[in-house]
Amino acid sequence: MSALAARQTAFMESLLDDERALPDGWTQRHAAGLDIYRNNYRSALVEALRATFERTERLVGEDTFARAAAHHLIMHPPSSWTLDLAGAGFAETCQYLFPSDPEVAELAWLEWSMHLAFVACDARPLTSEGFLESAGDFDEEDWAELRLAFKPGLKLRDTAHDLKRLWSSLDIAGKLPEIVRLTEPSSNIVWREGERPVFITVSQAEGRALTAMMDGASYGEVCEALVAQQGAEGIALAGTMLRRWLCEGMVEAIA
Amino acid sequence: MTSIAPFHGYGLGLRRTHYADFLEGEVPVDFVEVISENYMVEGGKPLRILEEVRAKHPVILHGVSMSVGSASGLDDEYLARLKTLAQRIDPLWVSDHLCWTRTSAHNSHDLLPLPLTHEALDTVCDNIDHAQETLGRTMLFENPSSYLTFPEDEMSEWDFMAAMARRTGCYMLLDVNNVHVSAQNHGFDAQEYIAGLPLERVRQIHLAGHTPATPERDIVIDTHDREVCEAVWELYEWTVARTGPVATMIERDDGIPPLGELLDELDRARSIADRSLEARAA
Repeated sequence: MSALAARQTAFMESLLDDERALPDGWTQRHAAGLDIYRNNYRSALVEALRATFERTERLVGEDTFARAAAHHLIMHPPSSWTLDLAGAGFAETCQYLFPSDPEVAELAWLEWSMHLAFVACDARPLTSEGFLESAGDFDEEDWAELRLAFKPGLKLRDTAHDLKRLWSSLDIAGKLPEIVRLTEPSSNIVWREGERPVFITVSQAEGRALTAMMDGASYGEVCEALVAQQGAEGIALAGTMLRRWLCEGMVEAIA
Repeated sequence: MTSIAPFHGYGLGLRRTHYADFLEGEVPVDFVEVISENYMVEGGKPLRILEEVRAKHPVILHGVSMSVGSASGLDDEYLARLKTLAQRIDPLWVSDHLCWTRTSAHNSHDLLPLPLTHEALDTVCDNIDHAQETLGRTMLFENPSSYLTFPEDEMSEWDFMAAMARRTGCYMLLDVNNVHVSAQNHGFDAQEYIAGLPLERVRQIHLAGHTPATPERDIVIDTHDREVCEAVWELYEWTVARTGPVATMIERDDGIPPLGELLDELDRARSIADRSLEARAA
Protein backbone atom coordinates (compact mmCIF):
# COMPACT_ATOMS: atom_id res chain seq x y z
CA MET A 1 0.00 0.00 0.00
CA SER A 2 1.36 3.44 -0.92
CA ALA A 3 1.99 6.04 1.79
CA LEU A 4 -0.93 8.07 0.46
CA ALA A 5 -3.29 5.08 0.48
CA ALA A 6 -2.19 4.22 4.02
CA ARG A 7 -2.75 7.82 5.14
CA GLN A 8 -6.20 7.92 3.57
CA THR A 9 -7.24 4.58 5.01
CA ALA A 10 -6.12 5.64 8.50
CA PHE A 11 -7.80 9.05 8.13
CA MET A 12 -11.07 7.45 7.02
CA GLU A 13 -10.95 5.02 9.94
CA SER A 14 -10.40 7.94 12.32
CA LEU A 15 -13.31 9.77 10.71
CA LEU A 16 -15.66 6.83 11.23
CA ASP A 17 -14.52 5.94 14.73
CA ASP A 18 -14.41 8.55 17.52
CA GLU A 19 -12.46 6.22 19.79
CA ARG A 20 -9.62 5.60 17.40
CA ALA A 21 -6.19 6.77 18.63
CA LEU A 22 -4.56 9.62 16.72
CA PRO A 23 -1.96 8.61 14.13
CA ASP A 24 1.70 8.86 15.22
CA GLY A 25 3.07 12.38 15.18
CA TRP A 26 -0.32 14.06 15.44
CA THR A 27 -0.85 16.83 17.96
CA GLN A 28 -3.88 18.24 19.75
CA ARG A 29 -4.12 20.73 16.89
CA HIS A 30 -4.58 17.80 14.49
CA ALA A 31 -7.17 16.33 16.85
CA ALA A 32 -9.14 19.59 16.80
CA GLY A 33 -9.08 19.61 13.00
CA LEU A 34 -10.10 15.97 12.82
CA ASP A 35 -13.05 16.71 15.12
CA ILE A 36 -14.36 19.20 12.57
CA TYR A 37 -14.14 16.64 9.77
CA ARG A 38 -15.86 14.07 12.00
CA ASN A 39 -18.63 16.50 12.77
CA ASN A 40 -19.03 17.46 9.09
CA TYR A 41 -19.22 13.79 8.10
CA ARG A 42 -21.89 12.96 10.66
CA SER A 43 -23.99 16.06 10.27
CA ALA A 44 -24.05 15.86 6.46
CA LEU A 45 -25.18 12.25 6.53
CA VAL A 46 -27.71 12.66 9.32
CA GLU A 47 -29.13 15.69 7.47
CA ALA A 48 -29.37 13.61 4.29
CA LEU A 49 -31.31 10.92 6.17
CA ARG A 50 -33.54 13.57 7.78
CA ALA A 51 -34.38 15.02 4.38
CA THR A 52 -35.23 11.59 2.96
CA PHE A 53 -37.08 10.19 5.97
CA GLU A 54 -38.98 13.28 7.06
CA ARG A 55 -42.12 11.42 8.13
CA THR A 56 -40.22 8.60 9.81
CA GLU A 57 -38.50 11.27 11.92
CA ARG A 58 -41.89 12.76 12.84
CA LEU A 59 -43.16 9.29 13.77
CA VAL A 60 -40.32 8.37 16.14
CA GLY A 61 -39.31 11.87 17.27
CA GLU A 62 -36.15 13.89 16.57
CA ASP A 63 -33.88 12.42 19.25
CA THR A 64 -34.81 8.82 18.55
CA PHE A 65 -34.38 9.42 14.83
CA ALA A 66 -30.94 10.98 15.38
CA ARG A 67 -29.87 7.89 17.33
CA ALA A 68 -31.26 5.56 14.65
CA ALA A 69 -29.49 7.56 11.91
CA ALA A 70 -26.20 7.45 13.85
CA HIS A 71 -26.59 3.69 14.32
CA HIS A 72 -27.27 3.24 10.60
CA LEU A 73 -24.17 5.23 9.63
CA ILE A 74 -21.97 3.27 12.01
CA MET A 75 -23.28 -0.07 10.77
CA HIS A 76 -23.47 0.95 7.11
CA PRO A 77 -20.96 3.71 6.36
CA PRO A 78 -21.68 5.08 2.88
CA SER A 79 -19.71 3.79 -0.06
CA SER A 80 -21.56 5.37 -3.00
CA TRP A 81 -20.44 8.64 -4.60
CA THR A 82 -23.91 10.05 -4.10
CA LEU A 83 -25.25 11.23 -0.77
CA ASP A 84 -28.69 10.39 -2.15
CA LEU A 85 -28.01 6.71 -1.45
CA ALA A 86 -26.99 7.20 2.20
CA GLY A 87 -30.47 5.99 3.18
CA ALA A 88 -30.10 2.62 1.45
CA GLY A 89 -30.97 -0.07 3.98
CA PHE A 90 -32.38 2.40 6.53
CA ALA A 91 -35.75 0.60 6.49
CA GLU A 92 -33.93 -2.60 7.49
CA THR A 93 -32.10 -0.66 10.21
CA CYS A 94 -35.51 0.52 11.49
CA GLN A 95 -36.79 -3.05 11.41
CA TYR A 96 -33.86 -4.03 13.64
CA LEU A 97 -34.11 -1.03 15.99
CA PHE A 98 -37.91 -0.94 16.36
CA PRO A 99 -38.95 -4.63 16.40
CA SER A 100 -42.13 -3.88 18.37
CA ASP A 101 -43.18 -1.05 16.06
CA PRO A 102 -43.16 -2.56 12.55
CA GLU A 103 -44.93 0.53 11.15
CA VAL A 104 -41.62 2.44 11.50
CA ALA A 105 -39.81 0.18 9.03
CA GLU A 106 -42.84 0.13 6.74
CA LEU A 107 -42.95 3.93 6.64
CA ALA A 108 -39.16 4.15 6.14
CA TRP A 109 -39.45 1.73 3.21
CA LEU A 110 -42.22 3.88 1.73
CA GLU A 111 -40.19 7.09 2.04
CA TRP A 112 -37.11 5.41 0.57
CA SER A 113 -39.11 4.05 -2.39
CA MET A 114 -40.64 7.50 -3.02
CA HIS A 115 -37.14 9.00 -2.85
CA LEU A 116 -35.88 6.57 -5.51
CA ALA A 117 -38.97 6.99 -7.70
CA PHE A 118 -38.48 10.79 -7.68
CA VAL A 119 -35.33 10.53 -9.81
CA ALA A 120 -36.06 7.29 -11.68
CA CYS A 121 -35.76 7.24 -15.48
CA ASP A 122 -38.36 9.25 -17.34
CA ALA A 123 -40.90 7.06 -19.14
CA ARG A 124 -44.32 7.73 -20.59
CA PRO A 125 -46.99 5.39 -19.26
CA LEU A 126 -48.86 3.12 -21.63
CA THR A 127 -52.42 4.43 -21.54
CA SER A 128 -55.50 2.20 -21.53
CA GLU A 129 -56.25 3.48 -25.03
CA GLY A 130 -52.74 2.69 -26.22
CA PHE A 131 -52.98 -0.75 -24.69
CA LEU A 132 -56.33 -1.47 -26.32
CA GLU A 133 -54.95 -0.38 -29.66
CA SER A 134 -52.21 -2.99 -29.39
CA ALA A 135 -54.32 -5.66 -27.72
CA GLY A 136 -57.48 -5.11 -29.75
CA ASP A 137 -56.84 -8.09 -32.01
CA PHE A 138 -55.22 -10.36 -29.39
CA ASP A 139 -56.32 -13.97 -29.57
CA GLU A 140 -56.38 -16.24 -26.53
CA GLU A 141 -52.75 -17.23 -26.99
CA ASP A 142 -51.61 -13.58 -27.25
CA TRP A 143 -53.37 -12.81 -23.95
CA ALA A 144 -51.79 -15.81 -22.29
CA GLU A 145 -48.34 -14.73 -23.47
CA LEU A 146 -48.81 -11.02 -22.64
CA ARG A 147 -45.88 -9.59 -20.68
CA LEU A 148 -45.55 -6.04 -19.42
CA ALA A 149 -42.71 -3.60 -18.73
CA PHE A 150 -43.46 -1.40 -15.74
CA LYS A 151 -42.44 2.19 -15.09
CA PRO A 152 -38.84 2.62 -13.84
CA GLY A 153 -38.71 3.09 -10.10
CA LEU A 154 -41.88 1.07 -9.41
CA LYS A 155 -41.50 -0.79 -6.12
CA LEU A 156 -43.84 -2.77 -3.89
CA ARG A 157 -43.86 -4.37 -0.48
CA ASP A 158 -46.29 -6.16 1.82
CA THR A 159 -47.28 -4.10 4.84
CA ALA A 160 -49.40 -4.71 7.91
CA HIS A 161 -50.38 -1.08 8.54
CA ASP A 162 -52.52 1.48 6.78
CA LEU A 163 -49.71 3.54 5.27
CA LYS A 164 -52.09 5.94 3.55
CA ARG A 165 -53.49 7.10 6.89
CA LEU A 166 -50.10 7.09 8.55
CA TRP A 167 -48.59 9.11 5.66
CA SER A 168 -51.35 11.74 5.76
CA SER A 169 -51.24 12.04 9.53
CA LEU A 170 -47.52 12.90 9.33
CA ASP A 171 -47.96 15.59 6.66
CA ILE A 172 -46.94 18.28 9.11
CA ALA A 173 -45.03 18.24 12.36
CA GLY A 174 -46.97 18.11 15.60
CA LYS A 175 -49.91 15.96 14.48
CA LEU A 176 -50.56 12.65 16.19
CA PRO A 177 -49.59 9.74 13.93
CA GLU A 178 -52.51 7.47 12.96
CA ILE A 179 -51.14 3.97 13.38
CA VAL A 180 -53.81 1.53 12.22
CA ARG A 181 -53.16 -2.17 11.77
CA LEU A 182 -54.91 -3.54 8.69
CA THR A 183 -57.36 -6.40 9.12
CA GLU A 184 -55.63 -8.15 6.23
CA PRO A 185 -52.01 -7.67 5.19
CA SER A 186 -51.77 -5.62 2.01
CA SER A 187 -49.25 -4.52 -0.57
CA ASN A 188 -48.15 -0.97 -1.24
CA ILE A 189 -47.05 0.05 -4.72
CA VAL A 190 -44.84 3.11 -5.28
CA TRP A 191 -44.17 4.70 -8.67
CA ARG A 192 -43.87 8.15 -10.22
CA GLU A 193 -46.77 9.94 -11.86
CA GLY A 194 -45.27 12.72 -13.98
CA GLU A 195 -42.77 14.26 -11.58
CA ARG A 196 -44.58 13.21 -8.41
CA PRO A 197 -43.93 9.94 -6.55
CA VAL A 198 -47.23 8.33 -5.53
CA PHE A 199 -48.39 5.12 -3.85
CA ILE A 200 -51.51 3.00 -3.47
CA THR A 201 -52.47 0.13 -1.22
CA VAL A 202 -53.79 -3.03 -2.86
CA SER A 203 -54.54 -6.59 -1.80
CA GLN A 204 -51.65 -8.94 -1.16
CA ALA A 205 -52.92 -11.09 -4.04
CA GLU A 206 -52.52 -8.13 -6.38
CA GLY A 207 -49.10 -7.41 -4.97
CA ARG A 208 -48.05 -11.00 -5.72
CA ALA A 209 -49.47 -10.81 -9.24
CA LEU A 210 -47.62 -7.56 -9.91
CA THR A 211 -44.37 -8.95 -8.49
CA ALA A 212 -44.71 -11.99 -10.74
CA MET A 213 -45.25 -9.84 -13.83
CA MET A 214 -42.35 -7.55 -12.92
CA ASP A 215 -40.22 -10.69 -12.68
CA GLY A 216 -41.23 -11.65 -16.22
CA ALA A 217 -44.28 -13.87 -15.69
CA SER A 218 -46.91 -13.80 -18.42
CA TYR A 219 -50.49 -12.65 -17.94
CA GLY A 220 -51.55 -16.26 -18.53
CA GLU A 221 -49.35 -17.47 -15.67
CA VAL A 222 -50.77 -14.78 -13.38
CA CYS A 223 -54.32 -15.79 -14.35
CA GLU A 224 -53.54 -19.43 -13.60
CA ALA A 225 -52.13 -18.55 -10.18
CA LEU A 226 -55.18 -16.44 -9.36
CA VAL A 227 -57.58 -19.17 -10.47
CA ALA A 228 -55.69 -21.62 -8.26
CA GLN A 229 -56.15 -19.24 -5.30
CA GLN A 230 -59.59 -17.78 -5.96
CA GLY A 231 -61.33 -20.21 -8.29
CA ALA A 232 -63.14 -19.03 -11.42
CA GLU A 233 -63.21 -15.45 -10.13
CA GLY A 234 -59.46 -15.35 -10.61
CA ILE A 235 -59.79 -14.46 -14.31
CA ALA A 236 -62.01 -11.44 -13.61
CA LEU A 237 -59.71 -10.44 -10.78
CA ALA A 238 -56.70 -10.49 -13.13
CA GLY A 239 -58.64 -8.24 -15.51
CA THR A 240 -59.39 -5.78 -12.72
CA MET A 241 -55.73 -5.69 -11.72
CA LEU A 242 -54.54 -5.15 -15.29
CA ARG A 243 -57.05 -2.33 -15.74
CA ARG A 244 -55.84 -0.66 -12.53
CA TRP A 245 -52.16 -0.90 -13.49
CA LEU A 246 -52.95 0.71 -16.84
CA CYS A 247 -55.31 3.40 -15.47
CA GLU A 248 -52.84 4.34 -12.71
CA GLY A 249 -50.02 4.74 -15.23
CA MET A 250 -47.78 1.98 -13.82
CA VAL A 251 -47.21 0.23 -17.14
CA GLU A 252 -44.64 1.51 -19.60
CA ALA A 253 -45.06 -0.91 -22.48
CA ILE A 254 -46.09 -4.33 -23.66
CA ALA A 255 -42.83 -6.24 -23.35
CA MET B 1 -6.79 19.15 -24.11
CA THR B 2 -9.00 22.02 -25.13
CA SER B 3 -8.48 25.44 -23.61
CA ILE B 4 -11.18 27.31 -21.71
CA ALA B 5 -11.72 30.88 -22.81
CA PRO B 6 -12.11 33.45 -20.03
CA PHE B 7 -15.72 34.31 -19.26
CA HIS B 8 -16.26 37.56 -17.43
CA GLY B 9 -19.55 37.54 -15.59
CA TYR B 10 -21.25 37.31 -12.22
CA GLY B 11 -23.29 34.35 -11.09
CA LEU B 12 -24.95 32.46 -8.27
CA GLY B 13 -25.22 28.86 -7.19
CA LEU B 14 -28.64 27.41 -8.00
CA ARG B 15 -30.29 26.24 -4.78
CA ARG B 16 -33.68 24.53 -4.37
CA THR B 17 -35.20 27.43 -2.46
CA HIS B 18 -34.60 29.68 -5.48
CA TYR B 19 -35.94 27.35 -8.19
CA ALA B 20 -39.12 29.39 -8.59
CA ASP B 21 -37.16 32.66 -8.89
CA PHE B 22 -35.07 31.24 -11.71
CA LEU B 23 -37.93 29.47 -13.50
CA GLU B 24 -40.60 32.14 -13.25
CA GLY B 25 -38.62 35.37 -13.33
CA GLU B 26 -35.62 37.02 -14.90
CA VAL B 27 -32.70 36.77 -12.49
CA PRO B 28 -29.92 39.25 -13.35
CA VAL B 29 -26.97 36.85 -13.42
CA ASP B 30 -24.52 35.99 -16.19
CA PHE B 31 -24.29 32.32 -15.23
CA VAL B 32 -25.60 29.77 -12.78
CA GLU B 33 -23.50 27.15 -11.03
CA VAL B 34 -25.07 23.86 -9.94
CA ILE B 35 -23.79 20.99 -7.82
CA SER B 36 -23.24 18.32 -10.48
CA GLU B 37 -24.17 15.37 -8.25
CA ASN B 38 -27.67 16.76 -7.61
CA TYR B 39 -28.41 16.28 -11.31
CA MET B 40 -26.47 13.09 -12.04
CA VAL B 41 -29.73 11.18 -11.80
CA GLU B 42 -31.74 9.05 -14.21
CA GLY B 43 -34.63 11.46 -14.67
CA GLY B 44 -37.41 13.35 -12.93
CA LYS B 45 -37.91 16.90 -11.75
CA PRO B 46 -34.27 17.92 -11.00
CA LEU B 47 -33.16 17.39 -14.60
CA ARG B 48 -36.24 19.10 -16.02
CA ILE B 49 -35.56 22.15 -13.83
CA LEU B 50 -31.89 22.24 -14.78
CA GLU B 51 -32.76 22.13 -18.48
CA GLU B 52 -35.20 25.01 -18.04
CA VAL B 53 -32.61 27.06 -16.18
CA ARG B 54 -30.04 26.16 -18.85
CA ALA B 55 -32.38 27.55 -21.50
CA LYS B 56 -32.10 30.93 -19.75
CA HIS B 57 -28.51 31.01 -18.44
CA PRO B 58 -25.09 29.48 -19.08
CA VAL B 59 -24.52 26.74 -16.49
CA ILE B 60 -21.37 25.59 -14.69
CA LEU B 61 -21.25 22.02 -13.34
CA HIS B 62 -19.47 22.08 -9.98
CA GLY B 63 -18.82 18.67 -8.44
CA VAL B 64 -18.02 17.58 -4.90
CA SER B 65 -17.43 13.85 -5.34
CA MET B 66 -14.82 13.28 -8.04
CA SER B 67 -12.14 12.73 -5.38
CA VAL B 68 -9.09 13.47 -7.53
CA GLY B 69 -6.89 12.97 -4.49
CA SER B 70 -7.94 9.35 -3.93
CA ALA B 71 -5.08 6.89 -3.95
CA SER B 72 -7.62 4.28 -5.10
CA GLY B 73 -8.28 6.19 -8.34
CA LEU B 74 -11.49 7.56 -9.78
CA ASP B 75 -14.91 5.94 -9.88
CA ASP B 76 -15.63 5.22 -13.55
CA GLU B 77 -19.38 4.99 -13.01
CA TYR B 78 -19.24 8.49 -11.53
CA LEU B 79 -17.27 9.79 -14.51
CA ALA B 80 -19.70 8.20 -16.97
CA ARG B 81 -22.65 9.88 -15.28
CA LEU B 82 -20.89 13.23 -15.16
CA LYS B 83 -20.05 12.92 -18.86
CA THR B 84 -23.71 12.18 -19.68
CA LEU B 85 -24.81 15.24 -17.70
CA ALA B 86 -22.18 17.47 -19.34
CA GLN B 87 -23.27 16.30 -22.80
CA ARG B 88 -26.88 17.04 -21.92
CA ILE B 89 -26.29 20.49 -20.38
CA ASP B 90 -23.33 21.78 -22.41
CA PRO B 91 -21.88 23.72 -19.45
CA LEU B 92 -19.47 26.65 -19.56
CA TRP B 93 -17.10 24.28 -17.77
CA VAL B 94 -16.95 21.41 -15.29
CA SER B 95 -15.18 21.85 -11.95
CA ASP B 96 -14.39 19.95 -8.77
CA HIS B 97 -12.07 20.27 -5.77
CA LEU B 98 -8.48 19.49 -4.93
CA CYS B 99 -9.31 16.97 -2.22
CA TRP B 100 -10.22 13.37 -1.64
CA THR B 101 -13.60 12.14 -0.45
CA ARG B 102 -13.31 8.36 -0.45
CA THR B 103 -11.22 5.25 -0.09
CA SER B 104 -12.00 2.06 -1.98
CA ALA B 105 -14.28 1.06 0.90
CA HIS B 106 -16.05 4.20 2.13
CA ASN B 107 -17.18 7.65 1.08
CA SER B 108 -17.00 10.53 3.55
CA HIS B 109 -19.08 12.95 1.45
CA ASP B 110 -16.73 15.64 2.71
CA LEU B 111 -13.82 17.43 1.05
CA LEU B 112 -10.90 15.89 2.94
CA PRO B 113 -7.39 17.37 2.99
CA LEU B 114 -4.49 15.90 1.06
CA PRO B 115 -0.96 15.54 2.33
CA LEU B 116 1.00 17.94 0.15
CA THR B 117 3.59 15.42 -0.99
CA HIS B 118 5.11 14.57 -4.36
CA GLU B 119 3.35 11.22 -4.21
CA ALA B 120 -0.03 12.90 -3.70
CA LEU B 121 0.74 15.32 -6.54
CA ASP B 122 1.45 12.37 -8.88
CA THR B 123 -1.84 10.74 -7.83
CA VAL B 124 -3.82 13.95 -8.32
CA CYS B 125 -2.27 14.57 -11.75
CA ASP B 126 -2.92 10.97 -12.89
CA ASN B 127 -6.53 11.22 -11.74
CA ILE B 128 -7.08 14.62 -13.38
CA ASP B 129 -5.57 13.31 -16.63
CA HIS B 130 -7.97 10.35 -16.47
CA ALA B 131 -10.98 12.58 -15.72
CA GLN B 132 -10.20 15.10 -18.45
CA GLU B 133 -9.60 12.34 -20.98
CA THR B 134 -12.83 10.55 -20.08
CA LEU B 135 -14.90 13.73 -20.11
CA GLY B 136 -13.17 15.01 -23.23
CA ARG B 137 -12.79 18.45 -21.70
CA THR B 138 -10.39 20.45 -19.57
CA MET B 139 -11.63 21.03 -16.04
CA LEU B 140 -11.29 23.59 -13.27
CA PHE B 141 -10.18 22.57 -9.78
CA GLU B 142 -10.90 24.53 -6.64
CA ASN B 143 -8.55 25.13 -3.73
CA PRO B 144 -10.10 23.59 -0.59
CA SER B 145 -10.34 25.05 2.88
CA SER B 146 -8.78 22.80 5.48
CA TYR B 147 -8.60 22.25 9.23
CA LEU B 148 -5.33 20.36 9.48
CA THR B 149 -2.04 19.88 7.65
CA PHE B 150 0.07 16.73 7.62
CA PRO B 151 3.49 16.20 9.19
CA GLU B 152 4.69 14.72 5.89
CA ASP B 153 3.85 17.82 3.79
CA GLU B 154 6.65 18.61 1.33
CA MET B 155 5.36 21.81 -0.32
CA SER B 156 2.88 24.63 0.11
CA GLU B 157 -0.66 24.26 -1.21
CA TRP B 158 -0.10 27.00 -3.77
CA ASP B 159 2.98 25.23 -5.12
CA PHE B 160 0.95 22.02 -5.25
CA MET B 161 -1.87 23.75 -7.17
CA ALA B 162 0.58 25.42 -9.55
CA ALA B 163 2.32 22.12 -10.33
CA MET B 164 -1.05 20.41 -10.77
CA ALA B 165 -2.16 23.03 -13.31
CA ARG B 166 1.15 22.96 -15.15
CA ARG B 167 1.25 19.15 -15.44
CA THR B 168 -2.41 18.49 -16.31
CA GLY B 169 -3.35 21.66 -18.19
CA CYS B 170 -6.34 22.11 -15.88
CA TYR B 171 -7.60 25.55 -14.90
CA MET B 172 -8.31 26.90 -11.44
CA LEU B 173 -11.38 27.86 -9.53
CA LEU B 174 -10.04 30.17 -6.86
CA ASP B 175 -12.19 30.24 -3.74
CA VAL B 176 -11.02 33.42 -2.05
CA ASN B 177 -12.88 32.56 1.15
CA ASN B 178 -11.17 29.15 1.28
CA VAL B 179 -7.77 30.83 1.01
CA HIS B 180 -8.73 33.16 3.87
CA VAL B 181 -10.04 30.27 6.02
CA SER B 182 -6.96 28.09 5.48
CA ALA B 183 -4.64 31.07 5.99
CA GLN B 184 -6.27 31.72 9.36
CA ASN B 185 -6.11 28.04 10.32
CA HIS B 186 -2.56 27.33 9.20
CA GLY B 187 -0.91 30.71 9.66
CA PHE B 188 0.18 31.43 6.09
CA ASP B 189 -0.23 34.70 4.22
CA ALA B 190 -3.32 34.71 1.99
CA GLN B 191 -1.78 37.11 -0.52
CA GLU B 192 1.38 34.98 -0.74
CA TYR B 193 -0.86 31.97 -1.51
CA ILE B 194 -2.70 33.73 -4.33
CA ALA B 195 0.43 35.35 -5.74
CA GLY B 196 1.98 31.87 -5.89
CA LEU B 197 -0.70 30.54 -8.22
CA PRO B 198 -0.50 30.78 -12.02
CA LEU B 199 -3.22 33.43 -12.08
CA GLU B 200 -3.57 33.31 -15.85
CA ARG B 201 -5.18 29.90 -15.33
CA VAL B 202 -7.87 31.14 -12.93
CA ARG B 203 -11.20 31.01 -14.74
CA GLN B 204 -13.58 31.45 -11.83
CA ILE B 205 -13.68 32.91 -8.33
CA HIS B 206 -15.92 31.79 -5.48
CA LEU B 207 -16.88 34.16 -2.68
CA ALA B 208 -18.51 32.84 0.48
CA GLY B 209 -18.89 33.26 4.21
CA HIS B 210 -17.44 31.24 7.09
CA THR B 211 -17.78 30.74 10.83
CA PRO B 212 -15.03 32.61 12.71
CA ALA B 213 -12.91 31.00 15.38
CA THR B 214 -14.03 31.30 18.99
CA PRO B 215 -12.10 31.33 22.27
CA GLU B 216 -13.15 27.68 22.70
CA ARG B 217 -12.39 26.61 19.13
CA ASP B 218 -9.34 28.17 17.54
CA ILE B 219 -10.29 27.05 14.02
CA VAL B 220 -12.20 28.97 11.34
CA ILE B 221 -14.87 26.77 9.73
CA ASP B 222 -15.77 27.02 6.08
CA THR B 223 -19.55 26.89 6.49
CA HIS B 224 -20.66 28.88 3.41
CA ASP B 225 -23.70 29.80 5.48
CA ARG B 226 -23.45 33.59 5.81
CA GLU B 227 -22.46 36.74 3.98
CA VAL B 228 -18.93 37.35 2.71
CA CYS B 229 -16.82 39.03 5.41
CA GLU B 230 -14.84 42.25 4.93
CA ALA B 231 -11.46 40.51 4.94
CA VAL B 232 -12.58 38.29 2.05
CA TRP B 233 -13.93 41.29 0.08
CA GLU B 234 -10.56 42.98 0.50
CA LEU B 235 -8.73 39.86 -0.63
CA TYR B 236 -11.08 39.63 -3.63
CA GLU B 237 -10.26 43.21 -4.66
CA TRP B 238 -6.56 42.49 -4.31
CA THR B 239 -6.95 39.29 -6.35
CA VAL B 240 -8.98 40.74 -9.23
CA ALA B 241 -6.37 43.48 -9.62
CA ARG B 242 -3.96 40.63 -10.47
CA THR B 243 -6.18 38.17 -12.40
CA GLY B 244 -8.02 40.72 -14.51
CA PRO B 245 -11.67 40.06 -15.40
CA VAL B 246 -12.81 36.65 -14.18
CA ALA B 247 -16.17 34.92 -13.63
CA THR B 248 -17.19 35.51 -10.02
CA MET B 249 -19.95 34.01 -7.96
CA ILE B 250 -21.41 34.06 -4.47
CA GLU B 251 -21.53 30.49 -3.14
CA ARG B 252 -24.03 29.94 -0.34
CA ASP B 253 -24.58 26.32 0.71
CA ASP B 254 -26.46 26.69 3.97
CA GLY B 255 -28.62 29.31 5.67
CA ILE B 256 -29.84 30.23 2.18
CA PRO B 257 -31.36 33.76 2.29
CA PRO B 258 -33.92 35.25 -0.13
CA LEU B 259 -32.45 35.64 -3.61
CA GLY B 260 -32.38 39.44 -3.30
CA GLU B 261 -29.76 39.27 -0.54
CA LEU B 262 -27.44 37.18 -2.71
CA LEU B 263 -27.98 39.51 -5.65
CA ASP B 264 -26.99 42.43 -3.41
CA GLU B 265 -23.76 40.61 -2.53
CA LEU B 266 -23.19 39.94 -6.22
CA ASP B 267 -23.65 43.65 -6.94
CA ARG B 268 -20.97 44.37 -4.40
CA ALA B 269 -18.64 41.91 -6.15
CA ARG B 270 -19.35 43.72 -9.44
CA SER B 271 -18.55 47.13 -7.93
CA ILE B 272 -15.36 45.90 -6.30
CA ALA B 273 -14.19 44.18 -9.47
CA ASP B 274 -15.04 47.24 -11.60
CA ARG B 275 -13.04 49.46 -9.25
CA SER B 276 -10.15 47.06 -9.16
CA LEU B 277 -10.12 46.59 -12.93
CA GLU B 278 -10.26 50.35 -13.52
CA ALA B 279 -7.27 50.81 -11.24
CA ARG B 280 -5.48 48.00 -13.08
CA ALA B 281 -6.18 49.66 -16.45
CA ALA B 282 -5.01 53.11 -15.28
